[in-house]
Amino acid sequence: MSTLALLLGAGLAVLCVLWVASPFVREPDAADDTLAAPEERRLALLEERDRVLAALKQLEFDHRTGTVSDDDYRATVGALRRQAADAIRALDALDAPPAETRRQEAVNVR
Amino acid sequence: MIALSVAALLAVFLLYTSIAGGGTASLQPSQLGGHFGNQVQLAGRVVGPVQREARTLRFGLRDVKGTAIVRVTYTGSVSDQFRPGRDVYLRGRLMHGVFVGEKDSLVTKCPSKYVAKPSSGGA
Amino acid sequence: MPELGRSALVVALGLAVYATFAGALAARRRKRRLAVSAQNALLAAFAATAVAAAVLVAALVRRDLSFVYVAQHISRELPLRYAITAFWGGQEGSLLLWLLVLTGLGAAAVAFGRRAGPDVIAWTVPVLGGVATFFALLVVAIESPFATQAAPPEGAGMTPSLQNPYMIAHPPMLYLGYVGLAIPWAFAMGALLARRADERWIVATRRWTLLAWAFLGVGQLLGAKWAYEEVGWGGYYAWDPVENAALMPWLAATAYLHSVMIQEKRGMLRVWNVVLVTLAFGLSLFGTFLTRSGVVNSIHAFAQGPIGVWFVGFIALVVAFSLYLLFTRLPLLRSRTRLESLVSREATFLYNNLLLVAFCLTILWGVLFPILSEAVRGETRTIGPGYYSFFLKSFGLPLLLLMGIGPLIAWRRASVKALGRTFLWPLAAAVAAGVVLLALGAGSSPLGLSAYTFCAFVLGSIALEFARGTRARRALGASSWRGAFAQLVAHNRRRYGGYVVHAAVVLLVIGVVGSSLFQTVREQSLRPGETMTAGDYTLVYRKLERRQAANAEQERAVLGVSRGGRDLGTIRSGKNLYPVEQQASNEVAIRSDPLTGEDLFVIADQIDTDGTVYFKVFVKPLVNLVWVAGLVFVLGALVAMWPDPREARRLATRAARPPAHARA
Repeated sequence: MSTLALLLGAGLAVLCVLWVASPFVREPDAADDTLAAPEERRLALLEERDRVLAALKQLEFDHRTGTVSDDDYRATVGALRRQAADAIRALDALDAPPAETRRQEAVNVR
Repeated sequence: MIALSVAALLAVFLLYTSIAGGGTASLQPSQLGGHFGNQVQLAGRVVGPVQREARTLRFGLRDVKGTAIVRVTYTGSVSDQFRPGRDVYLRGRLMHGVFVGEKDSLVTKCPSKYVAKPSSGGA
Repeated sequence: MPELGRSALVVALGLAVYATFAGALAARRRKRRLAVSAQNALLAAFAATAVAAAVLVAALVRRDLSFVYVAQHISRELPLRYAITAFWGGQEGSLLLWLLVLTGLGAAAVAFGRRAGPDVIAWTVPVLGGVATFFALLVVAIESPFATQAAPPEGAGMTPSLQNPYMIAHPPMLYLGYVGLAIPWAFAMGALLARRADERWIVATRRWTLLAWAFLGVGQLLGAKWAYEEVGWGGYYAWDPVENAALMPWLAATAYLHSVMIQEKRGMLRVWNVVLVTLAFGLSLFGTFLTRSGVVNSIHAFAQGPIGVWFVGFIALVVAFSLYLLFTRLPLLRSRTRLESLVSREATFLYNNLLLVAFCLTILWGVLFPILSEAVRGETRTIGPGYYSFFLKSFGLPLLLLMGIGPLIAWRRASVKALGRTFLWPLAAAVAAGVVLLALGAGSSPLGLSAYTFCAFVLGSIALEFARGTRARRALGASSWRGAFAQLVAHNRRRYGGYVVHAAVVLLVIGVVGSSLFQTVREQSLRPGETMTAGDYTLVYRKLERRQAANAEQERAVLGVSRGGRDLGTIRSGKNLYPVEQQASNEVAIRSDPLTGEDLFVIADQIDTDGTVYFKVFVKPLVNLVWVAGLVFVLGALVAMWPDPREARRLATRAARPPAHARA
């Protein structure tokens, strides 16, 4: 009984070690071993855009249900819409190819 | 701003508990000496002889790790776990050398872990 | 087979240590393969712990008394389902369960939490590994479940009151809750270590936190139901340290669930959220510690082992670690937005947080008071239920009111005029309810009456929110009222699920108030044939029955119940005597009225040899609403947690890489 138990235990240990070593076994020499850095700028802009859009949607809905009065709605919606536009524009600028932006800047200068 | 508010609230509690007499003293039989007449919580181990007349229970309570014994008179609910050798605690006052327990305040600790056996209390 | 269990735990310990150190190295040096390897180690640790757990379960099922742990917690005649639940009945087994749940939930959360960001995940793994190392160390070196002995002829048996269906569910649920709170904390630490100030880790752990919080809540209600039916003193909560140990982290987690919404929507309260999540996890560790050390005087006779010192040390380490990270990252966490108005949803969430945390800390103070007074004055002083009740009322009533106000207030700011119009209906409902209740006699307790009117206000406000929302959806083009309602909930599950949970809390309050402030208690000693009254009920003690069951001798007093002349049947109340365990248990009689939710609760407190029985009778109005509230709570939590395909799609497109702009 006890030898069987120890054998099973050893087997478990071996399996675990194999599983833990698997990333190195699968890619013995990885060209790129660096932890992926999230595209910080793009992600942040996307999140900002989504958050402002969600806030706009919430505001519209709250206005509809009567939670937000007409005055409060008028006071807030303008600023939110501008924020959303800014976020979308910033995103487009990021996604636009570098050549495009350089051409754009050249046009603006002229 | 938040931290200040919480700190202020906390200060209120500390004041409340200190002014409100800060709880009830929890004692073992050997410590009862200086507490004549005051309401305290007494904890210890049950020793015989145990006498039961109707709803009144008379028994001895000893320090869990000691020898001092005090006689206890108690009226109220008694858990089925109660017997000599079990650890209990109850509220009451020391009067004329006998500890008179408050009604339904006797709690018997269960010998094993994770089990509650109160005879009173709470909602 | 115990050798397999022991070696499996040693393997788990090794893997946890590896996950901690290799994971930290991988995160620091940004090594991808090593990070994956550390993550794998966490999952492998779960597998190894599961093997050890399986060994213990097998030993319990086989009634293998050569395992010391098995012999201490079961007997040969113990029914199978209770033999299995003995797994967590003692110190060593419950620690093993902690480790199992931790590694399991941890591995899953890390695997499914990719949207937190690879750098955050890389740091979360070693944090979880560190916690796992602590518990693995405990079960390997200090409290091993696999100690062996020469098998005795019979085991010690299980305490009769634990042989109850509620005790099959209550501990695992509590554990899922306690341990589950480690997940958001670990991610918070991971985010701080990765020097991140954004909300991604909160979004990634949102459902895990909800899950842990829901389990903790349900676990407590199950425990309360068990105490009500099985322990049978006439109540369901006694402010015992062990009960408080579960309530405190739940309150902190409730505050956290609300304040993260503010961080997600407005980017505020970053520091506060880290403090809250540390408080919640710290309190859950503290709760685990409290139920197994001997530091406070409680009805539970705790083992006085060395484990208390280890726990205190670990809790101190966790708190110190969290505070250190918080202080060093403080400039990063400063919020860019400020509170615009004291009358806004953000503000009500803030007030809610303050009240919840204040209540949580008052309970903590009450629990620690005996220890502190001993240390400071040399004399142990305890705090009774009166202290807790006072603060429950002081904080509970304003919190109740906030539950009604919050949903009706807009984000950022709300004008008082708009509020006046909005509150009209709920206020009217409250006043109407108050008048009706007064007529029904609820004026006997002004506090109860106030609580009820507040409840009516909250229910009115929740109903209004659902009504207004459904109407708006219908106007936006939903096909039918039912469709509009379904769309409303589907488009904002968290919000409307939250409203359902609020409704559950209201039901709970109604049940608690009814069964405590409006209850009737009567005590009387009866001989066979005699009668007593309690409230509207008349009870006649008919006779005493004695019966032999499988592992117990049953003594029952048979009573006939009637109300207003109408016969309501018979009930039986008495005791069971268990010869093997040498213990007796209270078997109370509970008669629930399906229409009013009222309970007639009868205890046969003392049974004399001549057949005279001392009865304690409670009439508890509305108490069954407490259990109904539990069901509504589960429903609300499910709605809030339910996966949202639209949200998932949005987050997936966010993570996708942009098309490469390849232009010459």
